[in-house]
Amino acid sequence: MAPDPGRPPNWGLGLDLGIRLGLSVAIGLGGGLLIDNWLGTSPLFTLVGMVLGIGAAMVTIWSVARDSMRK
Amino acid sequence: MHEEEGESLIHVAINAETLFHIGPLSVTNSMVGALLASAVLLLGAWWFTRRAALVPSRLQSALELPIELLSGILAGSSSRWRSYAALILSFFLIILVANWIGLLPGVGTIGIHAVEEGHEVVVPIVRPASADLNFTLGLAIVAFVMFIFWGIRANGAKGYLLELIGEPRYMAPLMFPINLISEMSRLISLSMRLFGNVFAGEVLLATMIALAPILIPAIFLGLELLFGFVQALVFALLAMTYISTAIAEHHSAGHGDEHDGEPAPSGDHHPAAEAATA
Repeated sequence: MAPDPGRPPNWGLGLDLGIRLGLSVAIGLGGGLLIDNWLGTSPLFTLVGMVLGIGAAMVTIWSVARDSMRK
Repeated sequence: MHEEEGESLIHVAINAETLFHIGPLSVTNSMVGALLASAVLLLGAWWFTRRAALVPSRLQSALELPIELLSGILAGSSSRWRSYAALILSFFLIILVANWIGLLPGVGTIGIHAVEEGHEVVVPIVRPASADLNFTLGLAIVAFVMFIFWGIRANGAKGYLLELIGEPRYMAPLMFPINLISEMSRLISLSMRLFGNVFAGEVLLATMIALAPILIPAIFLGLELLFGFVQALVFALLAMTYISTAIAEHHSAGHGDEHDGEPAPSGDHHPAAEAATA
């Protein structure tokens, strides 16, 4: 039941992209929350972190698409 | 009484449980699992190197099959595949063995009786290492460090930093944290996916065994056998993709590594490798 050798990398990239999109927002948001708790500036850095996280998710899509097209 | 037994059977803690202490070091059940997986691999390697024949026996062929599958993919991933082949194959083997150890009889069921929050629970002596985030995070950190190492080796430390800063330079205050988050997501994605899948499998098996102890768990054990293989393959292939992408960036940047690179193997146009580096 070994998978077709031509397929796994594509699943891997698909799975990776899906998880990384969510994680990018979570990392930005989590980092912002931590900084806000530390500095007492809520909700400034939470919002900044969220925007950066969404930006990072977009950059991730772009970099995966660019790498795919490069080949 | 029966309900209490059921409760103790579906006890699966999200964190590895401490079995005993050696000085300041807490020895957890997942550490026992990791040591067992390492021991199985070391013994297997010792046995294999003594018995390996040019004309392989059926057992040797069966053992070589997954390695050959991954080696075929690796060989076409980039011209310098030999530099990281050992690392990727090690990832694959240790994760595969660690995942499959969890399916052996007694693992997760033989344990020490303990009382937690007023309930008697069985703390398993062995827990699959990949069902512990510390283990998967450790592997992901190694993969991530290798990815950065190849990025720095290909572009230089300055080039790698400039890539993180992005173009145009005046956007650096915005792009640097964005790229940093994007890079960090690789590390967390690798570790969380493996941990999540294996841990979910453990919970599923424990629940099925508690609900229907006969026949039904066999179906899920079969599925877990397949998922264990797929998860090991996905982790290894993603680590390979990250590293080969770092090298591919070097190629496309026009630095040229023909002088120091390994010659491309004859089967360089492997379809999987083409997809992997894509």
